[in-house]
Amino acid sequence: MLFEIKNKIDEITYLCDTVKAYCNSNDISDEKYHDIVLILDEMVTNIIMYAYPDGGEHVFSVEIEKTNDSYVNITITDNGIAFDPLAKDDPITSLDIEEREIGGLGIFLVKQLSECIEYSRIDDHNKLNIKVAIVKKEENHGSQERK
Amino acid sequence: MEVKSANDSGITVITPMGRVDTSTAKVFEDAVMAAADANGKIAISFDSIDYISSAGLRVVLMLGKKLKASNGTLVLINMPEKIFSVFKMSGFDKILKICANFDEAKPLFG
Repeated sequence: MLFEIKNKIDEITYLCDTVKAYCNSNDISDEKYHDIVLILDEMVTNIIMYAYPDGGEHVFSVEIEKTNDSYVNITITDNGIAFDPLAKDDPITSLDIEEREIGGLGIFLVKQLSECIEYSRIDDHNKLNIKVAIVKKEENHGSQERK
Repeated sequence: MEVKSANDSGITVITPMGRVDTSTAKVFEDAVMAAADANGKIAISFDSIDYISSAGLRVVLMLGKKLKASNGTLVLINMPEKIFSVFKMSGFDKILKICANFDEAKPLFG
């Protein structure tokens, strides 16, 4: 499914509703909806906030495609300023609360939640391909040690 | 987005509802910061949100830093597994107190 997003932060609501409807009609679990919508929120927010410094109204495209029972492919294409999200350093997650920096977590979370991410700059467009696994992985993300 | 606030046993319990993202983070931030100015004992309940993005995590971290500096206490409660996994990926489970529910959190407030 291909849809367009304007560079306005209110569009996140439309994005979430659209992703929710797509997941519901494609038998994608609530847990995976959570991952997909969080990935899209982070990347789309980045584009809305930083890709168009001229401040004018722009539109960019988002595509979600369930390729088979195992994966969803997300493609985000914008014609804003060149930005490679993979070039950014990951935050250091082992620091104490006093030393932790406020910010910089978004792209890191996207990396954690996705199977692979590819960035390319083609014909003045940023193109981001993100592959998300929609079957439950064997690894135990969720083994919780709560106090 | 709505943020509920209640007082239980001298602890301010804040419950964000819906999505905590860039478009709603300011409402969430204003609510938790105002609560922290009024009372150094804060619990945030995460059972009513769809997801929390990095914009929301930023607010939780800012609040954690503020309360740590003022000798207050912050405990995060009622976290569904998917939300907990995001806190864990961020390394926040090591720097913030997370409890299953309010009753377990209570003793941490002293």
